[in-house]
Amino acid sequence: MPACTRWAPIPHPGMGHAMTEPILKLTDVRREFRRPRTSLRTPPPVVRAVNGVNLEVAPGERLGIVGESGSGKSTLLRLLSGLDQPTSGQIEVQGRRVDGQSSRQLKWLRETMQLVFQDPMSSLDPRMRVRDIIAEPLVAAGMSAAGKREERVVTLLQSVGLPKDAIDRYPHQFSGGQRQRISVARALAPQPKILVADEPVSALDVSVRAQVLNLIDNVVEGFDLTLIFVSHDLSVVRHVCDRVAVMRRGEFVEVAPTEELFADPQHAYTKQLIAAIPTLSAALGGRTAAALADEVNQQAGGENRD
Amino acid sequence: MGAAVLSVQGLGVATTRTPLLADVSFTIDSGERVGLIGESGSGKSLTALAVMGLLSDGVRANGTVELAGHEGNLLERPEREMAKIRGSDMAMIFQEPMTALNPTMRVGAQVAEVMRIHGTEPSKAAAKSRAVELLDSVGLPDPANVARSYPHQLSGGQRQRIVAAIALANSPDLLICDEPTTALDVTVQALVLDLIVRQAQERDAALLFITHDLAVVATVCERVMVMYGGRIVEAGPVTEVFTDPRHHYTQGLLAASDLSMPDGSRRERRSLPTIAGSVPGAGHFPDGCVFRNRCEAATEACTEVPTWHDRGDGAGYACVHPLGADSSSGHGARDD
Repeated sequence: MPACTRWAPIPHPGMGHAMTEPILKLTDVRREFRRPRTSLRTPPPVVRAVNGVNLEVAPGERLGIVGESGSGKSTLLRLLSGLDQPTSGQIEVQGRRVDGQSSRQLKWLRETMQLVFQDPMSSLDPRMRVRDIIAEPLVAAGMSAAGKREERVVTLLQSVGLPKDAIDRYPHQFSGGQRQRISVARALAPQPKILVADEPVSALDVSVRAQVLNLIDNVVEGFDLTLIFVSHDLSVVRHVCDRVAVMRRGEFVEVAPTEELFADPQHAYTKQLIAAIPTLSAALGGRTAAALADEVNQQAGGENRD
Repeated sequence: MGAAVLSVQGLGVATTRTPLLADVSFTIDSGERVGLIGESGSGKSLTALAVMGLLSDGVRANGTVELAGHEGNLLERPEREMAKIRGSDMAMIFQEPMTALNPTMRVGAQVAEVMRIHGTEPSKAAAKSRAVELLDSVGLPDPANVARSYPHQLSGGQRQRIVAAIALANSPDLLICDEPTTALDVTVQALVLDLIVRQAQERDAALLFITHDLAVVATVCERVMVMYGGRIVEAGPVTEVFTDPRHHYTQGLLAASDLSMPDGSRRERRSLPTIAGSVPGAGHFPDGCVFRNRCEAATEACTEVPTWHDRGDGAGYACVHPLGADSSSGHGARDD
């Protein structure tokens, strides 16, 4: 095992079940896409979007996945939420297989695992009222009594800090931050165990970002969730997560507890990512754009790419 | 640092019913880099569009916008003359490089086009070879080859470099960047920021840099203006505004954007400071101080538009209850 990787979850302080089964387990997961043929004589080129990922996540853990665009983050999310099938490898959630199952067989997964997406404007149906948006997973889960559903929707709205009268409004009547609250409420509706957040704050302003990060913290704590948090922003991941996996070209290049990763990054790519974050304190201390670019170039060791 | 390149005085923008910008005044000298920050919906991009004369129909600007080397008020110029100024004496880099480029045209031709239109290069061939030089100067490897490709064949960072090459082709006196790196990865962002600063410095151009990322503004700019509700609420040197803010909005932005403690360690979870409420829609800002419905220090006195308090050195703020006012020397400390 290379020194810089820690596939196994960190034993959780105060969790009391250090040796529990992982809630999520990925074993050598691969996903390949075939590009269109470029020649009749050669086989079509293959893109390895996810290339041999191993991972174990303990219940209650908060795992961050960082990487730049094209690193395979989104493909990995699609795989572990059963929206796409891996080319090879095994994915287990709570000990049950996710790969190779039909969507009908994955009904249990839709209740165990829920997603919050980046852009609430495109992930919420503009023609549905908030009531129906949040109740939709409940209907799918077979909660047929309308009165019961309504009760649940109101509780959910309260738990994400939205007023009761939001229930009759449409997504466009809310601000970006409020829309993200609706997404979170919908995700919480089927009482999931795992919350997967795909760049949930990238589309938001800083002040609103802080509100949504606080909300995610609150619901993960309050509903006892396991969090998979995907972002390209290392400083956000640092704030939210216990452990971080750095992804590049379909592989995890480094997996480490958050503070360890920031204090002592092992892989060159992690160092480059950390060096590239512009921070207020460094900038006020005199770090110019040229200095920032220099550091990135240095860490990249000349292999610069846009 | 040289003479003023851009001078904006009392700029207001409004539709027939809704005021969008009010009383925006600032100047930028040649070689100076000025940031414009604020949440979305605060009027940053609108300011840039008004200066460029790119406001859509039905949105009108008043006040004065003056550009060095051009007599009189740019806002009063007909579109025909503005078209001559845009792309030569002032240029803009947009946020989304995919929408800013023409998908059906080779990128080399797009760079050459701006020089042919403004007559800076005498012939098509000269413009073409100059375009390749420009692509080289913005750090694209194998520029001759890149010049022959279409936008979709290039990555986000490469596309943004092309957009920069187009904006810089005629060595503008004023370069406006509207969130140029928001759509890019962090490592690419660092390189593109460096490129913009370096190219602006080489040409001694005035730079107006719009972003919502405070860390980026602190990295790139010397001076910063904080905008909210279509007004500039605080301005000054970056270090002064970011370390010793006077306006409650500036302080709120600073607190919310900093995820780490001053010593670099991680902040307690669930305790990120936020600004209460959200940015109201256009035309729904309160009268008087635009921030008073979200400000905890707001009182009766805030129902009137706060006057601009000069802190000297081009710094100032518009607030009746400024933060840390007692430490300032005389003219800032005014209360009731």
